[in-house]
Amino acid sequence: MKNIVRELRTQREWSQAQLADLLEVSRQTVNAIETGRYDPSLPLAFSIAKLFQLPIEKIFEAE
Amino acid sequence: MREKQAKALYFRELFATLGVYCLFVLASSIYADSVPAGSLRSLLIASPILPALLMVWTIIRQFQRMDEYVRIWSLENLGMAAAFTAAFSLSYGFMEITGFPRLSMFATWSLIMGSWGVITCLRSWKEKSQ
Repeated sequence: MKNIVRELRTQREWSQAQLADLLEVSRQTVNAIETGRYDPSLPLAFSIAKLFQLPIEKIFEAE
Repeated sequence: MREKQAKALYFRELFATLGVYCLFVLASSIYADSVPAGSLRSLLIASPILPALLMVWTIIRQFQRMDEYVRIWSLENLGMAAAFTAAFSLSYGFMEITGFPRLSMFATWSLIMGSWGVITCLRSWKEKSQ
């Protein structure tokens, strides 16, 4: 899956560590999602969507 | 729980149990010789298994604290280390039949822990370089 998490994060000038803290996950997880190495679970995808106040399908897109 | 807090708690618990383990090993090595051979002596020598189980419990607690990606990633590392150890021990078992020296069971323990560490370092390095 493709995602725009990195773009959304940099728009807000957050570091990966700050985003990780807000999502209550590790920085390693944020990095894996941003680089497309890991597709988050549904609960985590919902947390990301809620944090950025966007629908999930605007953030994640099937390749 | 935040990542740093979880790691700090894990290392506190792990080093505390490691300390207890060392005390048990020291005590059993000091007193085992003065106890006559028998089941009491065997129990005394095997007693460090109790704090070793505490260490296992500490590691399980840390796995439960990990977030979803890190847990999968860490279990993959452990799975690879177990597969490597299984392949080595099977191969070496055949080599022992041909005359290679017999290895202690401690070698297996060292191999799985060592390969777990090496695999974790290599995969971390690979991730950071991406």
